[in-house]
Amino acid sequence: MDEPHLKRDLGLVRTTMLGIGGTLSAANFVIIGEAAGMAGYAIVPIVVICGVLSLFTMFSYAELGTAIPLAGGEYTFSKVAYGGFPSFLTGWFEWLSNMFYTALSAIAFAYVVSYLFPQINIPLTAVVVVLLFAIINLRGTKETATAETIITIIVLAILAIFIIGGWSFLQGTPATPQSASPIGILGIFAATAYLFELYLGAEAVAAAQAEVKNPGRNIPLAIILSAVVLIVLYTSVVVVAVGIVPPDVLSEQSSPIAFVAEQALGPAGAILVTIGLAIAGLAATNEAIMAQSRVLYAMSRDGYMPKALSTIHKRFCTPHVAIIVGAIFTVIFAATGLVNFVVYAVNLGFIIGFSIVNLSLIKLRKTAPHLKRPFKAPLYPLTPIAGIAASVFLALFIEPSVLILGFELIIVALLVYYIKMVGYHRIRIAFGGISLGLGAFIAFIAYLVGTNTVLQGLPQETVTLVCGFLLFISIIQIIAGILNLIAADR
Amino acid sequence: MNPKTALLKIIGVTQTAIGGVIMLFAFFVFYNIFDLQTAVGFPTEAIGLYLWAFIIFGLLSVISGLFLFYEP
Repeated sequence: MDEPHLKRDLGLVRTTMLGIGGTLSAANFVIIGEAAGMAGYAIVPIVVICGVLSLFTMFSYAELGTAIPLAGGEYTFSKVAYGGFPSFLTGWFEWLSNMFYTALSAIAFAYVVSYLFPQINIPLTAVVVVLLFAIINLRGTKETATAETIITIIVLAILAIFIIGGWSFLQGTPATPQSASPIGILGIFAATAYLFELYLGAEAVAAAQAEVKNPGRNIPLAIILSAVVLIVLYTSVVVVAVGIVPPDVLSEQSSPIAFVAEQALGPAGAILVTIGLAIAGLAATNEAIMAQSRVLYAMSRDGYMPKALSTIHKRFCTPHVAIIVGAIFTVIFAATGLVNFVVYAVNLGFIIGFSIVNLSLIKLRKTAPHLKRPFKAPLYPLTPIAGIAASVFLALFIEPSVLILGFELIIVALLVYYIKMVGYHRIRIAFGGISLGLGAFIAFIAYLVGTNTVLQGLPQETVTLVCGFLLFISIIQIIAGILNLIAADR
Repeated sequence: MNPKTALLKIIGVTQTAIGGVIMLFAFFVFYNIFDLQTAVGFPTEAIGLYLWAFIIFGLLSVISGLFLFYEP
């Protein structure tokens, strides 16, 4: 399918608004409370550090976005630079991250709304929001750029009222003593890894390069401008928030910014902030559903995923199968209602994505030195290396369960990749081997249960029952493994 | 149906069912239905991890089982 030619009608201001609007999600203003609990008053410099760290990678996005004028963002960059599995892995994590981001935006919306309506069920509300926007996306999205610009202006205006009102309130109250991070330097690093999510979405500027007037000038300028505006905005919000409400109190609120607004501006302030953040949450959910479905569609189109995922609906002209598949997984994530887990999962995916974008930049500078680059990342190779180093470092402070999840997702990615890229019989061999491995592992667990090494304290009859059940599973897995191997051998 | 085909179907269905039950069990544990978290003694902070481990195990079992069931 030919890429449609898009009209270049986005000037510097609208492109900058795209970068700002891409990051303004309700989730950012929900996680600020938790991060304040982790880092105390040190959250203020952390917000600035996160902005600067993400700016390094934004330069890489700008260079690659203007040099490779194709839709698809980081997936396309890695496809041009590396191809094969790295490209698939990038798309895989881009898809997963956007699904997690959808779930996060929906959960954050529910938390924000719960400030005014405490009786609502958070997971159920998040699931309903995901389903609603999946249906909207199924029916197609018409011109959304204007709507996004309007939403961004509304949210910025509400945040400006919050900052000015909060600042005025602060001037009239005695200064409170500020302490360092409650859990030291490790807490600060953990909060940095947690808050990295704040600036995700600014890469939308590079992704929209095909619609930007004079991209060589406007894209880098828009990226720098949006980064500066966002750093100033988030820093101001956080300064006001922790100035009015102590970090430990802030971390206990379902909607920290609405709580601060209520202290400074009264109930009307809380309602205003809640409306603004709820709008931002819904807009972010919509954008993330669209983004994840387009990534899945592109991977299917390129042969990395089942062909059915790139089917276009005859009436609505949308990749409906990709939207439905993504929505199913997103609903599962949203149903957990776990903000912290989902935030780290989003961050891990984007950290991997950012690393691959920086690596793609370095690779293409070496292998394609004559590629036309309207914009070049400044201070090369320092900026992409700094971007990679920051990503790797932040990954160390991500919650261990999410890191294990990431490792599992890489294994699943390998499976999916080989299922699509190698023949049927090899897949049977792979699954035969997996079944044998699972069978052996379950047999080992059965042994541990049988010898009372695990599940101690249970009645002997229960232990015997569990052990017998595990042995049954083990035998079935081993037989299935052998049968798959035999079938593949024919 | 010859004995080998019957064996493939039986093992395939059983493995798929095991995978399905394990995934269901994961959700029951996660949402603490029937107070399963206390019953199995999983630490609350690691429930997400168990959910994923069980889901991946279940998914692999289901796929492998379906391969056997639909053996051409």
